[in-house]
Amino acid sequence: MSKLILTVDDSASMRMLLKTSLTAQGFSIESANDGVHGLARMHEVQPDLLITDINMPEMDGFELIEAVRALPQFRGTPILVLSTEFSDEKKARARSAGATGWITKPFEAAKLGAAIRRVCP
Amino acid sequence: MSDELDEIQAIFFEECAEGLLAAEQGLAAMQGGDTSPKTIASVFRAVHSIKGGAGAFGHAALTAFAHRFENVLDEIRAGRIAPTQSVITVMLGAFDKVSDHVAAAQGTMGLPDDAASLAALEAVLAGQDAAPAMVEAPAPVQVPIVVEAPVSEEIDPFGFEPVTVAIEDLGGSDAAPAMPVDPEWTILFAPSRDAMANGAEPILVIRELEGMGAQVVGVDTSALPPLRDLDPENAYLRWTISLPGDVGEDQIGDCFDFVAPDSIVEVTRTNGEPLPPAPVEPDAPLREPGAIHDLLHRVEAASPAIFAAATTTAATTAADAPAKQDPRTADTASQTIRVDLHKLDMLLNLVGELVIRGSILSDRLSPADQQRVELPEQARLTREIQDTVMSLRAQPIRQAFNRVPRMLRDLTAETGKQVVLETQGETTEVDKGVIEKIGDPLTHLIRNAVDHGIESPDERLRAGKPAQGTIRLSAAQKGARIIVTVADDGRGIDRARVRAKAIEKGLIGADAVLSDEEIDQLICAPGFSTATTVSNISGRGVGMDVVRSNVEALGGRVDISSTPGRGTVFTLVLPLTLAILDGMVVRLAGQRFVLPLAHVVEAIRPEPGQVRSTTPGSEVIEVRGTYLPVRRLIQTFGLPDPNPLPPEESLVIIVESETAGKVGLIVDTIDDRREVVIKSLEQNLHPIRGLGGATILGDGSIALILDVDALVAPLSRTLTRGLAA
Repeated sequence: MSKLILTVDDSASMRMLLKTSLTAQGFSIESANDGVHGLARMHEVQPDLLITDINMPEMDGFELIEAVRALPQFRGTPILVLSTEFSDEKKARARSAGATGWITKPFEAAKLGAAIRRVCP
Repeated sequence: MSDELDEIQAIFFEECAEGLLAAEQGLAAMQGGDTSPKTIASVFRAVHSIKGGAGAFGHAALTAFAHRFENVLDEIRAGRIAPTQSVITVMLGAFDKVSDHVAAAQGTMGLPDDAASLAALEAVLAGQDAAPAMVEAPAPVQVPIVVEAPVSEEIDPFGFEPVTVAIEDLGGSDAAPAMPVDPEWTILFAPSRDAMANGAEPILVIRELEGMGAQVVGVDTSALPPLRDLDPENAYLRWTISLPGDVGEDQIGDCFDFVAPDSIVEVTRTNGEPLPPAPVEPDAPLREPGAIHDLLHRVEAASPAIFAAATTTAATTAADAPAKQDPRTADTASQTIRVDLHKLDMLLNLVGELVIRGSILSDRLSPADQQRVELPEQARLTREIQDTVMSLRAQPIRQAFNRVPRMLRDLTAETGKQVVLETQGETTEVDKGVIEKIGDPLTHLIRNAVDHGIESPDERLRAGKPAQGTIRLSAAQKGARIIVTVADDGRGIDRARVRAKAIEKGLIGADAVLSDEEIDQLICAPGFSTATTVSNISGRGVGMDVVRSNVEALGGRVDISSTPGRGTVFTLVLPLTLAILDGMVVRLAGQRFVLPLAHVVEAIRPEPGQVRSTTPGSEVIEVRGTYLPVRRLIQTFGLPDPNPLPPEESLVIIVESETAGKVGLIVDTIDDRREVVIKSLEQNLHPIRGLGGATILGDGSIALILDVDALVAPLSRTLTRGLAA
């Protein structure tokens, strides 16, 4: 059974790119366009992994990660940040919010797949 | 795959356009004094998204520039750089370069020269409030063209670039000497509680290392408490792992990417020496393999239990998840869909056919039968479909207005004039085809207003006006027409000069008597230009005549109204759609024709003697004291008319055209007024002068649509010559 991944990104092209490259690697992809929808989709799809952008309108990635981690059923769900930002300050903030890992955009499909398999058994 | 990527890339460019709009609006608000965090964040997010997507699609130059721009925005967002006017000016300049880079990425223009803008951004980052001099004088040495954006030289066919991974806490890497035979790696790995709490999974890390040939050579269990004290979320074990020396350090680092920041990870070369003992009690578990096994099981059962539980519940619930989805929120991501414009055109065409079939039915059925088959309801639905399909092609005119602010910035910088732009009605929806074709005329009108209309600040002050000129750009829908106006508060049209110029160019005779409106219209005459010095802004010989011909090609017209010293208003009257026309059905020698209603001024039943012959083959009609030329369409088209009506029994439709002013057209009767679906003649026949297309009427018969401008043009030439003589 393929792993179900929820991707949250406000850019439609990025969502499609993720879906295209990860579907090709055997993952099932659901997506949402901001933190608020992302949180709602977490409940609906109960993914094996959450991949979220940081800079989004409404609820940003940090807030989404904190909100997801605060829910008992998602305490152990791996969360990867996929962002163009790469400052240590932002990464530290993501970690303290509960992110499992950080991947800097632009991503290479194969490496992203490897990173996913690293957190998603 | 490639097609798919092209499609995604097309969406990316749409997002770029949206992002650029948002950024521009934000920057404009900042320029106007709104430096609220929300505004700054909106600009940041827009540039950030463009950078992110650009990186994904391999647009290195765009990524690099957007990255530098984003850095400055980030500093402003964090409050470390104050958004002063000079900083905002630099950002507006950077915004323009980002727009250029996006265009370059789309292939619509070459790579822009962004060195000056980069230097200005650098200066802002360096805390030097960028003086204009700095902007103009980029010192190549201090411009780091190679920014630390995650941009790589190696770009694979899909335009992806390698992921940048941050590996912290990787000790001992310096110690690795370059040796012919790589000594084995020894890794000490002690995952932290924090890493586990964030969903990291040590077992997966070890499995990945095992995939590279690693062996776990020791597990330190000394920290493991008795079962009753065991916190299932804590990490107690320290692994010692050996790995073949030929595995790259980067590869090892990647494995620990997500656990490294909090966990203890030490990677060392063993230099061919025997493996160092695992820190504490390395032998204990080794002596009792069963114990290790038990231990690992306990670890799997205890520490990662939560993860295992989470993933299994996820797996089981995922199976029935689709069934649970609320259809409304099922795919929040895709609220829009891209459709090929040709499909929309086809749809509109088919709806047009449906409308026609509806009218045929209503012509053939008695009112009672119409009711019986519920024809009115059918007609109402058809009309709704038609409106909806039309709205699919409609886009806010904002898209055409978008490029104006930037152009104004360039123009004001070039001319030294001060101009503010006021826009109104950007949300007015216009047919996409109209939007595409209105851009150039609009651009020219704005240039014209800045170049010829708005005075220099000194001149304005002398005239008692504010130094800053104003250009108002507005759009509104009036019935089936879209009215776009470009108004400036400049000096107005200098009619004496226009007249002199027109005489000089031989456009009018020296003794021609023209009204103010007619003089104003002269600036639209081909080849007319009053610019004494040809600036590189407007005035290259092509100008207002191009504006007029473009607008006329859309079925619209240009009105000019000017008040000396007060300014000029250009009004573009455009059709709402290019596919459906409001027409007047007229009859000529038994045949029916459609006159575009937009051209129709009035219809007159002439009194005896009102239509007079001047010279042979030339007639005029007197309308309230003025004489208008008259055209007999029967003669124009050479229609055989066995029973020509005397002038008193026919009708004269006064039409107005851009080329010839008002002209009377003699027709037999007016049949109807209706919206008709335009069918191109070019698709089936060759273009015919005087005919703009064809349509199918309610009874199924075909009616030709008259092209008024072309019909009356020959007359107008005669008229102009007459005036000039």
